[in-house]
Order: sequence, then C-alpha cells, then structure tokens
Amino acid sequence: MSEFCQQLVNGLTVGGIYALIALGYTMVYGILKLINFAHGDLCVLGAFIGLTVISSLGGASGSPAVWVVGLAFVGAVVAVSCAGVLLEFTAYRPLRSAHRLSAVVSALGASMMLENGMMLIWSPQTLVFPQGSLPSISWNIHGVQVTFTQLLIIVVSLALMGALYLYVNRTRFGTAIRAAAIDQDAARLMGINVNRVIVSVFILGPALGAIGGLFIGLYYRQAVFDMGWIYGLNAFIAAIIGGIGNIPGAMLGGLLLGLFNALAAGYISSTWQEAITFGLLIAILLVRPTGILGERVAEKV
Amino acid sequence: MHKGILATAAAVAMGVSSLAMAAGTVTFGVQAPITGKYANEGQGIEKAVKLLAKEQNAKGGLLGKQIKVQACDDEGKATQAALCARRLTNAGVFAVIGSYTSGAASAAQPIYARANVIQTSDGTADELTQRGFKTFFRNAPPNSAEAKFTGEYLVNHKHYQRIAVISDHSSFSKGLGDAVAEAIKSDGGQVLTRAYINSGSQDFTSVLTDIKSKNPDVIYFSGYYSDGGLLRSQEKQLGMNVPFVGGDANQNVAFAKIAGDAAQGSIIVNVPAPENLPYKAAKEFLAAYQKAYGEAPPSIFTLTNADGMRVVMKAVEETHSLNPKKVEAYLHQKIDKFPGITGPISFSSKGERIGSAFQAFEVQADGSYKTVYPTSASAS
Repeated sequence: MSEFCQQLVNGLTVGGIYALIALGYTMVYGILKLINFAHGDLCVLGAFIGLTVISSLGGASGSPAVWVVGLAFVGAVVAVSCAGVLLEFTAYRPLRSAHRLSAVVSALGASMMLENGMMLIWSPQTLVFPQGSLPSISWNIHGVQVTFTQLLIIVVSLALMGALYLYVNRTRFGTAIRAAAIDQDAARLMGINVNRVIVSVFILGPALGAIGGLFIGLYYRQAVFDMGWIYGLNAFIAAIIGGIGNIPGAMLGGLLLGLFNALAAGYISSTWQEAITFGLLIAILLVRPTGILGERVAEKV
Repeated sequence: MHKGILATAAAVAMGVSSLAMAAGTVTFGVQAPITGKYANEGQGIEKAVKLLAKEQNAKGGLLGKQIKVQACDDEGKATQAALCARRLTNAGVFAVIGSYTSGAASAAQPIYARANVIQTSDGTADELTQRGFKTFFRNAPPNSAEAKFTGEYLVNHKHYQRIAVISDHSSFSKGLGDAVAEAIKSDGGQVLTRAYINSGSQDFTSVLTDIKSKNPDVIYFSGYYSDGGLLRSQEKQLGMNVPFVGGDANQNVAFAKIAGDAAQGSIIVNVPAPENLPYKAAKEFLAAYQKAYGEAPPSIFTLTNADGMRVVMKAVEETHSLNPKKVEAYLHQKIDKFPGITGPISFSSKGERIGSAFQAFEVQADGSYKTVYPTSASAS
C-alpha cells in the first residue's frame, strides 16, 4: 500500500509539471489552432535562466538564499514571457493568414533555433543545479517519502492552475480570451483587441512553462539543452488527452499522464512506459476523439 | 622550345608533388559524442587526440608527415555514427579514434573495415571484437572482464545476497548488466530484479520505488554517469538506504555533481582513476593535458582513447609504414606490453586489449575516489 502511495506522490509531482507545460500548448491551440512546438524549448530556457540566476547570485558553494531562488523564478518567468512574445511576433504573426502548415513548420524551426541557441550559450553538457537550492527536507509518512521539493511542485502547480482557471473564467480579459478562442472575427466585431489577447496568451503560457521548466531543473537538479523535446511531447500528449484547447482539460490531462506514467513504470515496466503512454492516448482518442474534457464541435456543412 | 617549357613545367610539377608526398600530412579522425548527453566525454577525447597530434608534430610528425586531426560529432547515436564514418573515410583518414559509446562504435565498424581504416574505441560491449573486423582495436577492457570482477566484489567480497541490477537500453549498458547478472548468479548471489530505465528521462522514482519494495542489499547500475548520478540522488530522495554500485561509465566528475550529497559512499567499478595511475606515461600525459586545457580529463576514457592514438602511432613508427595492413598486423601480433597511459598494452588476435586490472572506488565527500577493492591495489 505504501508503495502504491509512493507511486502516487511520484506521479503527481511529474504530473503537476506536465500540467503546467500543457497549459501553454492548450492556450495557444485554443486561440490560434496552432501547436506551438517551440513550447518545450521555452520551458528549458526557463530552467537555464533560473540556473544562471542561482549560480551567479547564490555564491560559489553552499545553499543559495531563498530570495535568490525566488529571483530565479521571477527572472525565468520574465525572460521566457519575453521570448514567447518575440516568438509570436517573428515566427507566428507574419504567417497568421497563411496556410496552417506554414505555421507548424515555423514552429518546428523556432524549436530548433531555440534548442541550438541554448546549446551555444549554455554548452551541450548536462548542467547541474547547486546542492540545496531548495531545502532538502523530507517527511516519512507511514513509509511514504515526500520531499519538500515534491510538495512545493504539487502545491504551486495546483495553485497556479487554479489561479489561471479563475482568471480565464472570472475576469473581463479572461472572457475576451475565451471569446477570441471561439471566433476571432466575431470577437473583433465586439470590440475585443484580438492581437492583444494573442500576445497575452504568449505571455501566460510561456510564463507557466518557465515555472515548469525551472521545477524540472530544481527537482532533478540538472538541465540539458535538448530535454525540451521529451517534456514538450509529454505535455502535448497531456493536452490532447484532456482535450486540446480546453484549460481544465490540460490540467487534468497532465496530472493523469504523470500518475499513469508512474504506475506503468512501477508496476508494468519502464521499458514499455512510452508505449503504454501512447496506448493510453490512442484508447482515449478512440472513445472520446476530442479528449476527456474536449467538447464535440458540431460542424455545419 | 614549347616542348622544353612543358618538360620543365612537368618536372617542376612532379618535384612539387613528390615533395608534398614526402612531407605531406596524415589525417587521424576522431569520432566522438562532442554534443549531447556524453558531450564532456567526447570533447575530452577530441582534446586528447589533438594534444597528442600537436606533441607528435612538434617532434617532427609521423614518418616525417604532419598529423592532421579531423573530428566528427556522432552524438553517441548509431545513425550519426554511420554518417561520421562515411564522412571521415571520404576525407581519407588513416585511423579513427572513437567512438565513446559501444552502439556508435559498432555502427561505424563495417564502414571503417570496408575502407581499410584502423579504428580504436573504448566501447566495452563484448560483441565489438567478436564480429571479425580486422581493423578494430579495443583500448578498454570488455564488459565480460568487468562483469567478472563486479560479481566477485559484490558476492564474494561484500557478501551481498539480494541484488537489484538496473540498466538502460543502450547496447553497452544492457550488455554489461546482463553479464553482471550472470556473474552474480554464478558466484552464488541472487538477482532480485533486472530493471531498466529510459536513459535521459530523468524520472526514475517509479522504478526505484518498485525496487525499494523488494528490499535489496545493494543496487547495481550498468549505465552512464548522467543517469547514475540521478538514480543515486533519487534513491536518497525516496529515503532508501541501499548501497549503490555503478559500472565504469559512472566514473565521471559529473556523477558526484549530479548526485550531490548522495554521491558520498557510492561505489564505482572501473580501471584505475586517472590520478591513481602509477605509470610514467600517465603522469606526463595528465600534466600536458592540464597545461594545455587548464582542466583534468573528464574521465578515464579520455586516457584509454589517448592510448588508442598512441599505439597506432607506435605501430606506424615501428613498421615505417602507413599501410593499414602492416599496421594492423603489428598491432595484432607484435606489440607487447607497450607502456600505455592506462597500463601495459597488448592486443589479442581479435583486437581485444589484454590484461587490465579493475578496481572498486568509493566516492568521497570532496568528490575524489578512494580505492576500496582490491584492498592492496596492484595496478598493473
């Protein structure tokens, strides 16, 4: 039983990170009907910027102060949001009226640019976060080991997801986002500045992704320039499982995928972990082609 | 008149070209993972080869020819390795040093063999020397030798009984893991579980949680340092108090950095660490490397690959020939206890390095290694 609970904790932690990253995919898709393939790399950028802040301000050895880690989060969020907006202006906006395939190719190109740029700036090696960036406290609850980092990731990701949900559903600007997602032209006619809405989505998504990326770095204490692919892929699958374009769906999909991955690796075989993940994806899409929370869109012919 | 000019021109041209032949250059290839997960290993190999070439060139080169080094990045992947092998053979290399991973070395083998290019690699998968490629030489001891030592250490010396063996899916790691599992069984130990991780996926807590519930005496990991360091730190995160023994690819300065606090007390099985090598050649090479690059080599594999380059140069000098067949024959039959950086070097008829002593090291608090087995270390 304690083993099962331990797997739940392991899965929830990774699931929280997947969910944070999946939100970026789902919001961009919701508005532009575009899969932002560069999103995973934006998350890695967050991890690298956070690492740079921590290692330059945290002193040569020993644990960096709490404010340094806080500043790392702020720096990562600000820098990655800027990168997201820049990406929108340079890679996606010029192609907005072009065929959708062009934007997908542009997204793949942006992903390669980012990945190789990070390799040049931060070296191709595995970079290591300083020991003790987060307190290494852990609790043993009836044989289930929970670390401070895990708790922090689970709590913060749930809180951020809740805040985003409230923002999108309870505020005027959130209403504008939802309106633009349904029909951009109609929203424009109602006086909504759709370009502003799109820019805001490219701020919010990458900001959450940056936090996810920095969590990955702090949790595993390492970052590699090409790890965006695997996390991006998993988050993308999470977004699809939950119903792409649907914000609560991305949250649910991320958490489910994390749990499922942990249980599959723990009880079946980690060799088959990825095959099982894709099996789950196919099974869900067979039963509900629009994902768990995705709405069935009636197309008028 | 015209004929005279033509004849002079031809004579001059011939003279120039024969001069170029006499002086000329000989190209050594480096095929290594210069980017990607094993980048610091690959960069170490490239640096070592370039350093040796520079030293040799300062001494007048190889048979009077200057050595040129051409590097190709195989990212440690088989597909890239095959591309590198084609690129380097097209560039007319005489010999290739590399690659670091067994998978990449193995993918490149047939291409070098067909082009008659000598290849030396630190790949430790046993099958590398069993495929009958005359051009291939292994400069590190094979998995089976390491497995035999590991089994002895775990079961006979430490008396561990319930052993969890973890590998990743690379041909090196799986091969070594299987060999160690066999050795444990034949020494009378019990392989509690034969687990696998996905290299680079970073989250190994699920596999470790499963292993924790089986309550092993020790965890043995046959993969690479980047995953090994993480396994060790996640083991601690999960509150597991189980000793960790890693295979040779865990010996890298980054292992201790990634594992953090948990690194201390981890055991790594490998041939002696660079700084523990008692040989004259080792001390000279380490000093030269430190002077040239301002850092120590990342791992022992920089040195085994340097030895690969050194034996090829030695064979060329001894045979006074850049004919691959003659050089191969010399390496297979004649070279005997050549004083290498990593110990005396000889090769079997299959290109297998003969006679290297393994040791078990314990990672200390400051990240250095202490030899714990055999207790009175005889390195040769």
